[in-house]
Amino acid sequence: MKPAAFDYHRPETVQAVVELLESLDDAELLAGNQSLGIVMANRLATPDHLIDLSGVDSLSGITVTDAAVEIGAMTTHRTIERSDRLAEVLPMLPEAAEQIAGPAVRNKGTIGGSIGEADPAGNYPTALAALGGTLHLRSAEGERTVPVEDYFIAYMFTDLRENEIIEAVSIPREAYPVDRTGMAFVELKRAAQTWPTVSAAGAIRVDDPGESEPTIETARIAMANAADIPLRVPDAEAVLEGEPLSAAALDEVADIVTESVTPEGEMHADREYKAEVAGEYAKRSIRTAHERAIDAADD
Amino acid sequence: MSTKDITLTVNGETHSLTVEPRMLLIHAIREELDLTGSHIGCDTGNCGACTVVKDGEAIKSCLTFAVQADGSEIETVEGMEDHPDADGGLHPIQEGFEQEHGLQCGYCTPGMIMAGKAILDENPNPTEEEIREGISGNLCRCTGYQNIVKSIQYASDKLDENGEVAAADGGRAETDGGFTCGVENCCGGTGFDHTGGDNE
Repeated sequence: MKPAAFDYHRPETVQAVVELLESLDDAELLAGNQSLGIVMANRLATPDHLIDLSGVDSLSGITVTDAAVEIGAMTTHRTIERSDRLAEVLPMLPEAAEQIAGPAVRNKGTIGGSIGEADPAGNYPTALAALGGTLHLRSAEGERTVPVEDYFIAYMFTDLRENEIIEAVSIPREAYPVDRTGMAFVELKRAAQTWPTVSAAGAIRVDDPGESEPTIETARIAMANAADIPLRVPDAEAVLEGEPLSAAALDEVADIVTESVTPEGEMHADREYKAEVAGEYAKRSIRTAHERAIDAADD
Repeated sequence: MSTKDITLTVNGETHSLTVEPRMLLIHAIREELDLTGSHIGCDTGNCGACTVVKDGEAIKSCLTFAVQADGSEIETVEGMEDHPDADGGLHPIQEGFEQEHGLQCGYCTPGMIMAGKAILDENPNPTEEEIREGISGNLCRCTGYQNIVKSIQYASDKLDENGEVAAADGGRAETDGGFTCGVENCCGGTGFDHTGGDNE
């Protein structure tokens, strides 16, 4: 057998999960098993205990209110990809979800697993870096909320403590009124199974999509696999805000992003190439988000 | 060493097993149940050779511990010939792979067939793009995928035809209004109006 031996636990409540985290030494949480399973098969992780979260029903589901979207940690990529409500109010999330691996992986993989793994190439970490929001973490001591911008610390290293579980992520809707906001998640990827070379998450809110050249009120840009954390690029956002979109501004966005990223070189893409393509993909995400913001008025 | 007692229903047959928690579902299927149709390629989620259908969804059985599948319904390639759509012979998806040369070495085929089944179960008339997306987690190093796509299209067409024949035979499958059987003289003289929907 490829993974090392472990004891298996399948609690049914969050309270039981956090109690197990307190009492067990060397325990890992098991969400969809689409990343941990690979790591364990390679024996890069050999936990003594796995706590399977699939029996905790309260961790799954999407709740949309006027104020915020809240997504439970065990919600699968497939559910997010196919949520009509999310497609309406925060379309970046379904677009990020549908580009993860192939359908068999999306049937099992979860948003909480992705945020817990915190790979800077991951789609949700990058989408969340762009959108902002709050992570809801729980331990036996109680709930703790952490803003997304404080959560990702370094490569696969986060503010999540050993005795904590990610319960949910919530994203405030105030910044993204549906009738004048556009979002785009674009990625450069060789095949379904591979990590993206680079991805860009862009969001644009305009003042009046009915005008011929509406002013951009808010811009958000975050890049995946371009630094040791999912990288938001505020300097590039600042170039866009307060003006209508222009070709010159888009070029400047690309230049700033290329300057800002610090990617690792990999077999098929060296650092220089990734920096260059990051700028181009940032530009594409913003261009598409802007088109969608303008189209939003017609929907 | 801890073990767990689990129950798996595979191709309609229920099995009780005692497994180590670290046993992968693919190993339980192949080594405990001796159903070696599902293949192991990479053991790390890349290749899709181990794809099975669990509770109606395609999954990679190397990225699932057998204990995680406790109580679930699993379909593997061995069950395809017993499926009602097979009508006593090969399932239309299997027939498609035969007719359209959808395999060469055959290693990826069991996974491709189950991925294909998941596609068609959900969407009986997928576009080429939808088929390609549906098998995007399954690697084939022989065919270049073209004939695999054609094989699944073949099955989609065949299942459509079968559906129409069944409907013409009985006409009751989808007669809840607005149904046209498409078969000439199918119901001449009987007074049965396929398109009216108010004859019930």
